[in-house]
Amino acid sequence: MDSLKEDLKKHIIEELNLEDLQVSDIDDDALLFSADGVGLDSIDALELIVLMEKFYGIQVTNPDEGKEAFLTINTMADYIEKKKS
Amino acid sequence: MYINAASTISHQPTFQNAGFSKLIEPLENSSELISPNYKEYIDAGLLRRMSKILRMSVAAAKDCLKQAEIEQPGAIIVGTGLGCLQDTEKFLNTFLSVEGLLPPTSFIQSTHNTIAGQISLSIGNHGYNMTHTQNTLSFEHALIDTSLLLSEGRDNIVAGAADEHIPFLEEAAEKLNLPSKNNLTSGASFFVLSKEKSDRSLARLKDVRTIGLVQDIDTEIDSFLSDNFLNVSEVDLILYSDLSPRVESVANKYFNEHYHADSKMINYTKLSGLYPTNSAFAMHYGIDRIQQHPELKKVLVLNGLNKINLGLTLIESLET
Amino acid sequence: MAVRITGLGLISAIGLTVAENLYSLENGKSGIAPVKYLDSERDFLVGEVKCSNAELSDHLGIKAQPISRTSLLGLTAAREAWGNNRYTNELRTGIISATSVGGMDTTEQFYQDYLDKNDPDYAVLRCHDSGNTTERIAAELGISGYINTLSTACSSGANAIMLGARLIEQGKLDRVLVGGTDALTNFTINGFRSLMIYDDRWCRPFDESRTGLNLGEGAAFLLLENDKSIRFSGNSTICCLSGWANAADAYHQTASSPEGTGATMAIQNAIDVSGLSALDISYVNAHGTGTKNNDLSESTAMINVFGDNIPDFSSTKPFTGHTLAAAGAIEAVFSVLAIQKGLIFPNLNYKTPIAETGLVPIMELQKDQPVLAVLSNSFGFGGNNSSLVFSVHR
Repeated sequence: MDSLKEDLKKHIIEELNLEDLQVSDIDDDALLFSADGVGLDSIDALELIVLMEKFYGIQVTNPDEGKEAFLTINTMADYIEKKKS
Repeated sequence: MYINAASTISHQPTFQNAGFSKLIEPLENSSELISPNYKEYIDAGLLRRMSKILRMSVAAAKDCLKQAEIEQPGAIIVGTGLGCLQDTEKFLNTFLSVEGLLPPTSFIQSTHNTIAGQISLSIGNHGYNMTHTQNTLSFEHALIDTSLLLSEGRDNIVAGAADEHIPFLEEAAEKLNLPSKNNLTSGASFFVLSKEKSDRSLARLKDVRTIGLVQDIDTEIDSFLSDNFLNVSEVDLILYSDLSPRVESVANKYFNEHYHADSKMINYTKLSGLYPTNSAFAMHYGIDRIQQHPELKKVLVLNGLNKINLGLTLIESLET
Repeated sequence: MAVRITGLGLISAIGLTVAENLYSLENGKSGIAPVKYLDSERDFLVGEVKCSNAELSDHLGIKAQPISRTSLLGLTAAREAWGNNRYTNELRTGIISATSVGGMDTTEQFYQDYLDKNDPDYAVLRCHDSGNTTERIAAELGISGYINTLSTACSSGANAIMLGARLIEQGKLDRVLVGGTDALTNFTINGFRSLMIYDDRWCRPFDESRTGLNLGEGAAFLLLENDKSIRFSGNSTICCLSGWANAADAYHQTASSPEGTGATMAIQNAIDVSGLSALDISYVNAHGTGTKNNDLSESTAMINVFGDNIPDFSSTKPFTGHTLAAAGAIEAVFSVLAIQKGLIFPNLNYKTPIAETGLVPIMELQKDQPVLAVLSNSFGFGGNNSSLVFSVHR
């Protein structure tokens, strides 16, 4: 699970061009879409959907489902685990 | 209209470097874009997605606002010949080669008006927001729009132009047998244009005209000058682009016929490198020359970069 | 303000001329269907002009190649609007077109060959840039001088019309052909799919169940003239362009603000410029793309400006598809037709009001209406919002 989270952070930094961030800068429970957290926006949300398909083979067809899944690194990792099992 | 601020990011040391016109030499073939530290100008959240043309444009536009001490301009008007090439090429590559879902960012940022849009977004401006794209005359069209807006009662307008280089352009130029003696470069020049003269005014933009599908260059220049009650011998400096031999020969003719001790003729494409809106570089260069040489009163930018189009811009010193 | 409109030209999924378009509008005939002319991988629902490039070239008598589909569509509409007008040195004549894709229809074919190393034809790149699209149209019509192209995504066409009106108002030109053109491309279809706002079913503007847009293609031009030009041409005035405005939303790169800030400013300012009041607007030709975001934001803006007195309104995009830079120009011609023929066009595919606003568009064609003033909205990417007001010529 920890390696999954690490992996996920790497992909997010890479795909979303978060140039200034290191893997260690993103807390597992930091709110991804909050200005106090990582500060992502709705374009990033679309990029995350692409990322889920590209790296994990998961199709997020319902945007509302995405909203819940993309809350934090923890929720994203849970979502991936759940979809894979 | 008065030019109250000017800012250029280019392959020359133009950015925040008043007096650059005294320093610069024609570009070497290996020249590179001289970028400022963009983080000082652009919010990190916006910057991370921005291609070269967006970074250059937003930074230059914000630098202008700072120089002019204006928080909100009355409008934002941009000219671009080829637009956001880097993102256009990226999205072409993506959708033609990726199977499955496509990342949207490069598509969003491929449209020409991303430049003006990002400037408005980065300063929260709700004014008139326009993008002109008429290849080599895009900048002049942005200036004409600016003059209309000033007459309509808006003031302190950010107007400028930008184009970005991508490596593919060299390949295309070669295959299309386009003249390759010039460096293909990137550049962004922005200005604040105002109705009234102020302490900060750098020069006066007297007139600007575009002639698309031009037939008789001599006649067009004559009528432009006579409409401005000007004899060609009164022009102290002609800045011209050299891709069109016709324009060069016309400029030469004027120069030889009307030569006076202080008159000069400079090929600005040799200084800026080649991109569709490099007449915006020429305007900044002309303004900077006027600042450095008080004897310079009238500068004419003769944009003949594309042989079917002619752009004419007349800049005057404040003493005129 | 009032600038006279004396010529119209239009080509879209519902017809190759103004008359054919009017017929389809009056008979509820949508032009949206599975893709047929564009070389595309899937059966997307699109509003294609029902003509191949070869047929368009033949029809126009165009020999010089390469030429983009965007230019071919633009020239077809521009010729119809220009009609039998003659070029003269006595009048300052200009042309302003709008396009968002320019020659992308040919560039994307080139680029596929380029990636495949399949002998790509570099010559087509000469018609890639948007300015070239307009230069080709100008050259074919014999117009030189003020030739310009605007590119502000989905509001481009409206902006071209606005700029033309301002040039005439300020005495810079005597007459000007204004409009927009965009061909359907895989670039834009894939782009809107990547934003997850491309509907695989028919678009349903202002309906609670809306999930996105269908792209279309086409072109439209209008001829604007001042008094001097009309004395020369003897053209009769169809109606007037009386108001215009552009405002930036400055909210988000793609989405419109939920408060409809930029849209409200554009609508209100355009009505102010026209000298009319909000109550004078007989019909609103809405931007109404069918995306969740646009239609909600636009509805909110209409409520902001009109309050309880929302005029009859509809989106005609279920007829044509969203034609991007051409949309503002095509819908400007529809607005003129509404005034000229006393019609209000239906919003096809509508069933249920949007929960947040409850607005109900016109669902059936309304005939013999006193349509005195029409508001046409065009809202684009990057928060570029424009509105135009057309009114009867008195």
